[in-house]
Amino acid sequence: MSVDPDRPYTESLIIMTAVRMVAPFVLTYGLFITFHGADSPGGGFQGGALVGVVVLMLAFAFGARPTREWIGNDVITGLAAGGVVVFVGVGLVAIGLGGAFLEYGRLEPLLGPDAVKWGMEAIEIGGVAAIVASVIMGLFFLTAAGFDRGDGS
Amino acid sequence: MSAVGIALVAFVAVTAVATVLVRDVLSAIIIFGAYSLGMALFYTLLLAPDVGLTEAAIGAGVTTILLLVTIAKTTRPIGDRVLASINWPAAVVVGVLAVLIGSTVPYIPTDNFTGGLTPVIANPNVTGYYLEMTYADTGVTNAVTAVLAAYRGFDTFGEAVVVFAAGVAVLVVLHTEVFS
Repeated sequence: MSVDPDRPYTESLIIMTAVRMVAPFVLTYGLFITFHGADSPGGGFQGGALVGVVVLMLAFAFGARPTREWIGNDVITGLAAGGVVVFVGVGLVAIGLGGAFLEYGRLEPLLGPDAVKWGMEAIEIGGVAAIVASVIMGLFFLTAAGFDRGDGS
Repeated sequence: MSAVGIALVAFVAVTAVATVLVRDVLSAIIIFGAYSLGMALFYTLLLAPDVGLTEAAIGAGVTTILLLVTIAKTTRPIGDRVLASINWPAAVVVGVLAVLIGSTVPYIPTDNFTGGLTPVIANPNVTGYYLEMTYADTGVTNAVTAVLAAYRGFDTFGEAVVVFAAGVAVLVVLHTEVFS
């Protein structure tokens, strides 16, 4: 039971084929859950988790290292930090327009009459989903790489 | 409770106990994934599809994969004993706790298990307000999303930042500045 996580499982045709077939559907489902969370079960957290799981599936089938290099650190940190910025931003803009933190109704000059709905969509999709998806990917890549990073730590 | 519900409770109980008793960590992780899947179905049966989705994605999916990646660098226990040895004092404590908590179950209103419309809620006035006013207040039809993002938006902000902080904390622990 000693598997090098950086080694792609190229010999497992079954896993690769299965992931290749399932991944587009899981990704679509994850995006649906994310973007349709206001009117059906789900939301940013669940959808973001599913989108993150798609990357984990790809990493399981095609190896952690190639997937890690394909995604890149900038995407993961950008999504995680950007998600927090979007969430805080929506809250602060509401304050700037004379309301309380995250008082979506105050965003009406920017988002129109459905400001509450669009404000919620913004923090769910741009905030929560981005943070959850990126942190799941990041935790997986860090765990897969382990401590053997060669920096003497 | 329906036959499906009883079967799911039995499945969850059996997999939970098996997770503790099985000696091989790989087997325990796989059984734990099955337990999470059973819980996800059970939440859906109890009309909590949002929680069910989370349990399926996080519990059965992400946790299983993270645990598998973690044990990939360990070794399997030597010998062919299937079950771990039981710590009886701990088992007695857990058993007493389970009986104590289980004894409260008959006092939970069970109308929504049987298809009634009375929800099991601690403060019906607040919950009733959410269910009644969600669309008028926020313009979305999923009351769970409305509570998360609008009524309790600041709490959700804290939770999102906690998830972000978890990622940062792992980076700090591993003495690295990049995720990949």
